Amino acid sequence: MRRLELGHINIKDIQFGPESKIEDGVLYVDEEAVKAIVLEDERIKDCKLDIARPGESVRITPVKDVIEPRVKVEGRGGIFPGVISKVDTVGEGKTYALKGMAVVTAGKIVGFQEGIIDMTGPGAEYTPFSKLNNLVVVCEPVEGIKQHDYEPAVRFAGFRVAVYLGELARELTPDKTEVFETYGVMEGAEKFPGLPRVAYVQMLQSQGLLHDTYVYGVDAKKTLSTIMTPTEIMDGAIVSGNCVSACDKNPTYVHENNGVVHDLFEEHGKTLNFVCHIITNENVYLADKQRSSDWTAKLCRLLDLDGIVLSQEGFGNPDTDLIMNCKKIEAEGVKTVIITDEYAGRDGKSQSLADADVAADAVITGGNANQVIVLPKLDKVIGTLDYVNTIAGGNEHSLREDGTIEVEIQAITGATNETGFGYLSAR
Amino acid sequence: MIKVVHYINQFFAQIGGEEKAHIPAERHDGEVMGPGAAFKAAFKDEAEIISTIVCGDSYFNENLEEAKATILAWVKELNPDVFIAGPAFNAGRYGVACGTICDAVQEELGIPAVTGMYVENPGADMFKNKVYTVPTKNNAAGARDAVKKMAPLALKLAKKEAIGASCQDNYMPNGVRVNFFEEKRGSRRAVDMLLNKLADKPYTTEYPMPAFDRVAPQPAIKDLSKATIALVTSGGIVPKGNPDHIESSNASHYGEYDITGVMDLTEATYETAHGGYDPVYANEDADRVLPVDVLREMEKNGVIGKLHNKFYTTVGNGTAVASAKAFSEEFAQKLIADGVDAVILTST
Amino acid sequence: MKKAFKIVTNNPLVKETLENEYHIEFVECSYEEILRKVRNYIYEGYELLTHPLSGSVKPNETPYKSIMVSEKKEKLDPRSMEIIEYAIQSCKKFQFKSDKYAPEVYEDFQVVDLKLIESAIPSAIF
Repeated sequence: MRRLELGHINIKDIQFGPESKIEDGVLYVDEEAVKAIVLEDERIKDCKLDIARPGESVRITPVKDVIEPRVKVEGRGGIFPGVISKVDTVGEGKTYALKGMAVVTAGKIVGFQEGIIDMTGPGAEYTPFSKLNNLVVVCEPVEGIKQHDYEPAVRFAGFRVAVYLGELARELTPDKTEVFETYGVMEGAEKFPGLPRVAYVQMLQSQGLLHDTYVYGVDAKKTLSTIMTPTEIMDGAIVSGNCVSACDKNPTYVHENNGVVHDLFEEHGKTLNFVCHIITNENVYLADKQRSSDWTAKLCRLLDLDGIVLSQEGFGNPDTDLIMNCKKIEAEGVKTVIITDEYAGRDGKSQSLADADVAADAVITGGNANQVIVLPKLDKVIGTLDYVNTIAGGNEHSLREDGTIEVEIQAITGATNETGFGYLSAR
Repeated sequence: MIKVVHYINQFFAQIGGEEKAHIPAERHDGEVMGPGAAFKAAFKDEAEIISTIVCGDSYFNENLEEAKATILAWVKELNPDVFIAGPAFNAGRYGVACGTICDAVQEELGIPAVTGMYVENPGADMFKNKVYTVPTKNNAAGARDAVKKMAPLALKLAKKEAIGASCQDNYMPNGVRVNFFEEKRGSRRAVDMLLNKLADKPYTTEYPMPAFDRVAPQPAIKDLSKATIALVTSGGIVPKGNPDHIESSNASHYGEYDITGVMDLTEATYETAHGGYDPVYANEDADRVLPVDVLREMEKNGVIGKLHNKFYTTVGNGTAVASAKAFSEEFAQKLIADGVDAVILTST
Repeated sequence: MKKAFKIVTNNPLVKETLENEYHIEFVECSYEEILRKVRNYIYEGYELLTHPLSGSVKPNETPYKSIMVSEKKEKLDPRSMEIIEYAIQSCKKFQFKSDKYAPEVYEDFQVVDLKLIESAIPSAIF
């Protein structure tokens, strides 16, 4: 048996102060100390910190990543293994998470940057991150740096800040503790005879620059489909390097708090036996797709699974992986539910996915990403509106004279998440 | 007060059954008839039925243009805020009439309309993407439930309120995807759906995959010069005068015509019955849709063995997939019995 | 089995960066026209090797597209046909704004497209 205790340290507010600390549920941030951590990377010229609280008239854009600070208090390894901490298997022992807050990295990476988090108004309903106290890190690159050099710089800066803040909780007493227990294959079968054997198959974005995901620091496109203990992801075993398709990319926060993992654990030992977490990728090369989906299906069979939930990340290319995985896993007799989102056009009349198969007969949708929304002018912008006209789902008229913004919800971070993180759906 | 005009057939107006299906349209101003009473109750004080229009099902479908014109003129004069037809349950001709008249009221008069029927009613297949159609039980025992769903939707339409997703406002999915917030998040819904799927309990997919009727191709013909080739079309080519009265849309049957000795389809001898495309070019030279001339030439030059002496034709314009399938299953047997090796199927 | 390939592209940076090492077919045309060109190849019997909707940057947003197909004609591949048809259909769902960006943004689009197609090369080379 493997056991992870996840302690919640509730953060009800963030304030800047002379010393970084957590006191009575308030996170005090020493601005200079955090800046110094960001600027450790010589590829970053400057950075600004800001705080955005739920309900404030604040817009954060363009968002790169959202990260929940965590700290490993007991057990092997550290948070973000292979990325910030040394490579070591995580997912056991005790971890504390700073709940109710996130580190948001923002600022230009490329000129078609996207990702909006509104803290109030109609846009706030579409992003799960409007409910959090956000410490926003807006980075600025050194002159002349190439996009592929700069993206990892901002990615790592966010993780360093999150780990620094997580450390502040090490000696605290959690407000609440969740316990997750997993079992070996034989052990689980003996413990829960008669319960259906279920796994979570997660497809990771892995198409190249700005479209990558890292597992224990390894670029997911160079991996074969494999098995993890479902608690590993809670210690940051999977991180995002993905900055395109704001609505349906999985920020690191979504990996740490993966909804399918959480909700399968809720049923674990009651109505099902949550056997494991299977990860696979979404490569560009079609033979890679074939190999990866062959492997997920094979793993499902080897593990004698009865059912799986399959989640997706991104638009277009991954639709093909989704359908291939679903078809092959169903063909192994393993019942499959898929989670996706839709691009049905602004009028909702186009075919939603770029692939289809009758085997996909149980679909959860995160909604139509082409839906148009008008976002009101907000008092403060953290980041810049320079790119609003060019973001996916925007156009040259997006930023109107009265300061309102007309965009498709695909521009909003997390709006149509394909791991089922949000409440949006469509019929 | 919202004004409603209600359309029902002779049966629900309690005039009579099949023997009265031929009665022409009647207009009963100020009268609430049949299921109208249930609508009246459901509307409370928000809306009133200002007129009930009754029409025999046979009459409507056999005198389509005339019935439509009469009813449209009445509805125009009455100028309601919303038009309601049915519910038609599983009555096929009634369902088609409800869909047809609702569609016409919306298109011609710009008045919103709602109908209700059983999902397998052919009218549903034909009109659910054009007219908000509430799914009902397959018989009048489902009337209460049908009205409970149709009435609020009609009021919403009358008030020009935004219509929610099909599962929220109780209409059949109509090809337009509408976003809304669920009570449970997606991951939880996925786990619940999986538990149902594992237990063989019913569940409803949130996105039905587009349905494709995949047909495995037949092996290639080895020697075309010995093959008998038949022509089949959904482009509505018929002998001049359309002797079997194939409908210009929503065809109820197909035609079988002998072309022994016919070398060329001419303006004098053939035409199209199809109402869904500009017929000028097909009427001028029906070979453009059904290439008899070219195949005769191939026959003469020995490219093909021979052209089959019969062709099969129907109109694809809005014809229900189920009907089309039934037609082809029937004439495919005839083609096989006649020793046809291959078919060229033309559409428009 | 790995396959000899060519890259059909409208991205000048792909041409510039990869043409010395690989067979690049550069065409000055739109994103959708690249898809149509590749569709024609597929119908002639070339095999589709990379996904035509690679990348989350949407059609009609980025003007650039690079797709890998087999160097030699083989037999008609139904799955390639299916994928390319879906991809072409997808284009119409997105508002066209490929021509609305500041000049420096095009370089970013080119780089991302290059990196996407480059990510396939290790899988494709002998």
